[in-house]
Amino acid sequence: MDNKPVKISVFFCRCGGNISDKVDAAFIEQELKRLPDTIHFKVVDFLCGEEEKNMMEKELAEVRPDRVVVVACSPRDHEETFRRVLVKAGINPYLMQMVNIREHVSWVTVDKDRAVRKAAIYIKTAIRRVKLHKPLEKKTIDIIPEVLVIGAGVAGIKAALSLAQAGRKVTVVEKGPVIGGLPVRYEDVFPDMECGPCMLEPMMGEFLHGDHAHNIELLLLSEVSEVKGFFGNFQVKIRKNARFIDPHVCIGCGECVNPCPVSVPNDYNFGRDQRKAIYFPFAGGLPNAPVIDWNSCQRSKGTDCSICKTACPMPEAVNYEETPSVIEKNFGAVILAIGASLYDVSRFPNLGYGTVPDVVNSLEFERLLASNGPTQGKLEMSNGEIPKHVSIIHCVGSLDKNHAEYCSGICCQCAFKYNSLIAHKAPGTKVDHFLREVAIAGKSDYALYQQAHQRGETRFFRYNAIDDLKVIREGGSSFILSQTDCGKAEKIRTDMVVLCPALIPSPDTEKLSAVFEIPRDKFGFFEELHPRVDSGKTKIRGIFMAGTCQSPMDIQKTMNQGVASSGYILSELVEGRKIEVEPINAQVNSDKCSGCKCCILVCPYKAISFDEANEVAEINPVLCQGCGTCVPNCPSGSIIGNHFTNEEILEEIEGMLS
Amino acid sequence: MNSQESETDQELLKAKQTGFEPKIVGFLCNWCSYAGADKAGLAQLSYPPNVRVVKIMCTGRMDPQFVLHAFDKGADGVIILGCHPGDCHYKEQNYRAVQRHRILLRILREFGISEERCLFDFVSAAEGEKYARVIGNIIEKIRALGPLNRAKLASKDQVLE
Ligand SMILES: Cc1cc2nc3c(=O)[nH]c(=O)nc-3n(C[C@H](O)[C@H](O)[C@H](O)COP(=O)(O)OP(=O)(O)OC[C@H]3O[C@@H](n4cnc5c(N)ncnc54)[C@H](O)[C@@H]3O)c2cc1C
Ligand code: FES
Repeated sequence: MDNKPVKISVFFCRCGGNISDKVDAAFIEQELKRLPDTIHFKVVDFLCGEEEKNMMEKELAEVRPDRVVVVACSPRDHEETFRRVLVKAGINPYLMQMVNIREHVSWVTVDKDRAVRKAAIYIKTAIRRVKLHKPLEKKTIDIIPEVLVIGAGVAGIKAALSLAQAGRKVTVVEKGPVIGGLPVRYEDVFPDMECGPCMLEPMMGEFLHGDHAHNIELLLLSEVSEVKGFFGNFQVKIRKNARFIDPHVCIGCGECVNPCPVSVPNDYNFGRDQRKAIYFPFAGGLPNAPVIDWNSCQRSKGTDCSICKTACPMPEAVNYEETPSVIEKNFGAVILAIGASLYDVSRFPNLGYGTVPDVVNSLEFERLLASNGPTQGKLEMSNGEIPKHVSIIHCVGSLDKNHAEYCSGICCQCAFKYNSLIAHKAPGTKVDHFLREVAIAGKSDYALYQQAHQRGETRFFRYNAIDDLKVIREGGSSFILSQTDCGKAEKIRTDMVVLCPALIPSPDTEKLSAVFEIPRDKFGFFEELHPRVDSGKTKIRGIFMAGTCQSPMDIQKTMNQGVASSGYILSELVEGRKIEVEPINAQVNSDKCSGCKCCILVCPYKAISFDEANEVAEINPVLCQGCGTCVPNCPSGSIIGNHFTNEEILEEIEGMLS
Repeated sequence: MNSQESETDQELLKAKQTGFEPKIVGFLCNWCSYAGADKAGLAQLSYPPNVRVVKIMCTGRMDPQFVLHAFDKGADGVIILGCHPGDCHYKEQNYRAVQRHRILLRILREFGISEERCLFDFVSAAEGEKYARVIGNIIEKIRALGPLNRAKLASKDQVLE
């Protein structure tokens, strides 16, 4: 339809005087009579009222106009309301234009005469525009209800369980040989000093063997290598490495471990003790089955050692022939839950990590305190003695422009947790905290700090910048040199130094952001769709996230995010329901497209791809959010911004100026 | 007053005497600035009616031809309003819009249109007051500049050369 005269229904809402006190409906009606179009002009008091909407529907069904104009309030309030009325009346909802006379004219214009003239221009413009509108259809697309969760840390487990409990099939891809993420590597959990394994094991048991475990497929030692598709239908390739032990057959007795002739440093305990080539990462790790580290195993060097297989009471549990496999599966949505890393403390040579004995980072210290760790939970230095002075340095790499600019929010809590554990394990030991800021908000979170304050053995030192601290070794003892505010350097005796580093994005964040083409924020964490409103969504539709891969956070928030991400999925990806595609989006006219790819560069949602066979750009309507940026970026003018086409906007401009 | 525009003092005077009411087109992004304009309405702040609003989903949709078309069809000024940097509903399309606006100003200069006639600003959904102020200001500014003298502008062919 072009500019030929048509039949138009104009509904004028008086809004109980809010509009009509300034804008006289009769004047508008007279003005519209001069148009070549057939105008059905209807004045209503409150068009958004139930009765009035019914009246509007009846009127539309009777008049059967070609186009509809609603003169009322902001379309932000009621455009959807009136679109629904059109649908009920059997008219395509996009053949309507709303004129915002209340917020943009009657409420803001003092002079009645000028208000009514402005209103007349707006309404006549809307008529010009709406004549160019095209009927648009909401397309629907079938979905796959299955969900992929990447990472079996606390966030991933919680998310998968929530989905499985709702009857949803979930595949969980975990890179390591055990589930539970970071928290299963330590024992006591702030703020209540609850026993971590006791807190997590029921949940992990539920995940592995509970009533809904049949809905969960767990792929250990696995990683996602390739992804295609979009929300509702992602095609994913997963590479699964060999464990050489079938965890479903293995009874976890450990008979195989001791006879193994190979010993190597145990990386789970940062090399403080040794493990075998066949090993359990740590006692209590789930699933309770060992793994063979092929690179250390003698078989990888060509021998045919089979000592572990011989020792195993369930001989078919050990399978030396297992090879890596690639699994291809389709999913409707993805949850990223790959956790975070610790800042590399060796980047501060002044802190003595790696050069001065017994300088450890927080995770290493957690392993020392854990009863399944290298010292069976005894607080011991590398020489086996109990430290008399422990120094805990907070904010290592945090709040620092040259390192991690932000506060991770959990390290202070960790530090005071250590204070409490030291008090428990080595009662006479002095603890010195070196801190820049103290950040511990929350209703139960202050207790450990207060306890530390009350302990006679605790001292606090403020420092300004990490360079003001120096860990040195002199005559067989260690000291911390601390530059104080007044410029004086204090020299403080210490036996052991615990560095509490910032939580930073794991290197896999970058890897997966490339695989999924999802943006990262300026720190390198996965970027939220909106940092407050939708922090569990990435910028790409259908890819959600939970836990520390979004931002540093504690277990409480991680668990909440796990549930939140599954909540999004349960409400947006519903079995049997199709995905509705918003028709106000961009579309390529492939006859005109020159294949220059300019549009692909500007799309923030990776909605545009290149069809290599036909050498044209293609816009995925599910991913396109309708911002319209690609439209003016197209040198050949071959992208149409539906409902905001060039023709419609140019016509609107002209109307506004007539 | 920009020297590129050759309205004489007399012309200006005439405009003032006849009570020159500038015509200005306002391009507002749907999410922040249009909502900011709504906020001004809800607060019943008053401002003159010279700016006529054309809604776009995002300033990223702003095509330079919209501005040229507006000047061609009788606008004395144009104002483009979008979300504040970092707040664009579609990530950072407003940065792109700012870049495009800078280039557009150069094109306008070629035509002989002062860059003061084409403003880009940021108005959030909460800034009803700022909206009313920005609108008031541009109207005053364009009123002071006087009507755009279309007869004296370079033609498209001249610019293309
Ligand atoms: C030293 C230390 C002490 C802490 N103490 C406490 C405490 O006492 N109380 C508290 O509330 N919080 C504590 N926290 C914070 C807590 O550990 C985190 O909130 C929690 O671990 C976040 O869980 P997550 O599932 O997001 O990540 P993680 O627990 O790190 O789990 C991530 C999982 O994803 C897997 N993974 C990684 N990359 C991939 C990949 N590419 N593909 C597949 N799988 C992958 C990992 O192997 C891991 O299993 C502490 C943190 C640290 C560093
Ligand atoms: S949505 Fe407002 S500028 Fe992009």
